[in-house]
Amino acid sequence: MKRYILHRLLLLAPALFGALTLVFFLIHLVPGDPVEVMLGETASAVDKGELRRQLGLDQPLMIRYAGFLAGLARGDLGKSLYENASVSELVGARLPATVELTLSAMIVAVAIAFPLATLAAIKRDSWIDRGALFFSLLGLSLPNFWLGPLLMITVSIQLGWLPVSGRGGFSHLILPSLTLGMAMAAILTRILRASLLRIVNMDYIKAARAKGLGEPAVWLKHMLRNALLPIVTIMGLQFGSLLAGSIITETIFSWPGIGRLTVQAIQTRDYPLVQGCVLVVATSYLVVNFFTDIIYKLVDPRISYEK
Amino acid sequence: MIPRTYLFCLASMLVTSLSGCVGSEAKIPPGYLVIGIESSPNHLDPRYATDANSSRVGSLIYSSLLRLDHNSRWFGDLAEHWNMLDPQTYVFQIRKGVTFHDGRELTAADVKYTYDSIMEPRNRSPKRGPLKVLQSVDQLGSHTIRFRLSAPHAPFLEHCTIGIVPANAATREQGGNKLPPGSGPFALAKIDPGEKIILTANPSYWEGKPPLPGLVFNIVPDAIVRVLEFKKGTIHLLQNDIEPDTVSWLEKNTDAIIETHQGTTFQYMGVNLTHPILKNQKVRQALALAIDRDGIIRHILQGQATPANGLLSPLHWAHDETITDWPYDPAKAKQLLDQAGFRDPDGDGPRTRFKLSFKTTNIDLRRRIAETLKEQMRGVGIELEVRTYEWGTFYSDIKKGNFHLFSLAWVGIFDPDIYYNIFHSASFPPNGDNRGHYNNAAIDRLVEQGRRESDSRRRKQLYSQVQKIMHEDLPYIPLWWAKNVVVRKPQVVGFTPYPDGDLFSLKQTSLRKAPGRQ
Repeated sequence: MKRYILHRLLLLAPALFGALTLVFFLIHLVPGDPVEVMLGETASAVDKGELRRQLGLDQPLMIRYAGFLAGLARGDLGKSLYENASVSELVGARLPATVELTLSAMIVAVAIAFPLATLAAIKRDSWIDRGALFFSLLGLSLPNFWLGPLLMITVSIQLGWLPVSGRGGFSHLILPSLTLGMAMAAILTRILRASLLRIVNMDYIKAARAKGLGEPAVWLKHMLRNALLPIVTIMGLQFGSLLAGSIITETIFSWPGIGRLTVQAIQTRDYPLVQGCVLVVATSYLVVNFFTDIIYKLVDPRISYEK
Repeated sequence: MIPRTYLFCLASMLVTSLSGCVGSEAKIPPGYLVIGIESSPNHLDPRYATDANSSRVGSLIYSSLLRLDHNSRWFGDLAEHWNMLDPQTYVFQIRKGVTFHDGRELTAADVKYTYDSIMEPRNRSPKRGPLKVLQSVDQLGSHTIRFRLSAPHAPFLEHCTIGIVPANAATREQGGNKLPPGSGPFALAKIDPGEKIILTANPSYWEGKPPLPGLVFNIVPDAIVRVLEFKKGTIHLLQNDIEPDTVSWLEKNTDAIIETHQGTTFQYMGVNLTHPILKNQKVRQALALAIDRDGIIRHILQGQATPANGLLSPLHWAHDETITDWPYDPAKAKQLLDQAGFRDPDGDGPRTRFKLSFKTTNIDLRRRIAETLKEQMRGVGIELEVRTYEWGTFYSDIKKGNFHLFSLAWVGIFDPDIYYNIFHSASFPPNGDNRGHYNNAAIDRLVEQGRRESDSRRRKQLYSQVQKIMHEDLPYIPLWWAKNVVVRKPQVVGFTPYPDGDLFSLKQTSLRKAPGRQ
């Protein structure tokens, strides 16, 4: 297990390096000039050239790439071209909001999916089962940019229960979490239901019942535990997607997270800031998936990483 | 074991999540007016502010020598009075007793420092380029300042609207994100990045403390959500950046008071004059005649614009009243295209006279307008290929001259010297914004004279000639002047909209108690 963890940790580095390299070249190849945005259109060509030199934007792309890697090795993500603050400072200020939203969306997804899928599997082919399947179809089909405003209009405006947007107390978190977590809840419901139905007639379940175990114990201790493996995989993958994909939800709900910061950085061609945002998202994605692999072992002791 | 592990994970997630919430609670102080804005201001320091929101919020924090009132007339803000000694020398007498928010008195030394700081190349101020005509700033006394220009430059007063910072205020490079104090009606209290900006009333403002205890600029990027926040009552005032379709909804479903005013924002179709088809004047005139501006304004913009016949709106002092509107006349457009040698190969059949690309941004409203223009152009036998881009890519293409036709707007037009920047042959990019490479010796001569002429009557005559030539030559196809739309709660009293969207009248705005509320 230790060797496996070490091996996986070593694999994180090239994956991260690949992601950052790709983003570095893509953002620099996209048309647009940060100097134009900084100095305005009326600046003289001399001033623009001087600023380009000061920012190192006059250097060949490969030299800039080498500089970027050297900075990265020192743990220096550089300075934002516009904000006059370090990239780590800017990303650090926005990261808690995104983590907060992502974790809450996960909680919402799990809180909806687990009881719904379990009930659907217990009451197979009943109206509950059909309702759960319909819900998962709906959850997957509704885009965030539609679901978000719909929830705002009904829950915030018509019922007046919750604030419309912005980051504040717990009440501000509910609607964006629901919006972001709905698609994940739908996926988890479908997979968990299928997983439970796959093992419902297994011999060891029959044996558990024959032993005289009560239904709650059979479902919770034997079935749910064995159905959890695919769920862990999906949750790991989806957590990364939620983190990276919260841009639309953050924009709709005026949520000051990494997603909005990334969009703003791309629009202004703030190269160091884009790279910083991507680094954070890519690292989170890789780390979460790394832990997912570790959790497999905890969920299913039969899994062995030793050769 | 598994359910316990699982429950532990869930509980940790919940705790982390909720602890995050507690730390971010930010309440709006009572009595503060909340204004919804689309994006965060980039730089509130007036030496670096370039975007509209930075200028608008910054103008409430920083006083400047001069300002424009809601009728676009100059009035002294810090300047008690000013004189033009000769076309290259301006002297300003600064009000005594004006203090910065930290209590220091504002003097001519602060004005000199602000302008010197902008002119210093190391400070990378975007205001340096437009001020290149400024030769020196001299302090003549504690409250007297003189500006000397390298050449007569009639639009110089426009540069006297830059906010004044205290002498020795740190530059962007030196001071990080710390904002220098201003002397305006409001002082910066707090910036929550990406969320809100809170200003508090300046009790020692030279005109007296504003009636409002403070302002909150709530950053809500989505236009629909801004409207929903308004309906909920968490935003009191919205100005522009409102989807045209939502205005009628607001009228029916909220207590909003909606006011529309003629604005100065000019929407146009840019033309690449180096293109073999578009360099033909008759083709450009046909394009102008093929557009049903009234139809687009009525059905897509919901009446929030007026058809434009040129760059300067009727509100502008140099606007030429004799310039006529471009009517929607497809028959005449077809006739002009025939005369230009671009005959329709099959009459009303599917084949077109020629094909052009039309670039615009990927904003939904712009895309809908582009699709409508495409249909209208098809009506006269021109195929328009609509290409939508993300802003950065779109703007880069326009700057490089990589377009046939495009649509953009000029915002905050004040001095007619803008003609020099966008139509003089010396203003081809990167030296200016003549992106279509318009080259006309008569225009060059007129805009050069206009720039040097200090007599406003004579300037008006010069720019009147410019407008007449532009109307014939059409280096831009005029579309419309956008109206300023103000949506406010009934309890917001005393807010006066400015043609350029400035928010300076918030200094005299007050918030009445809503009926039935505490």
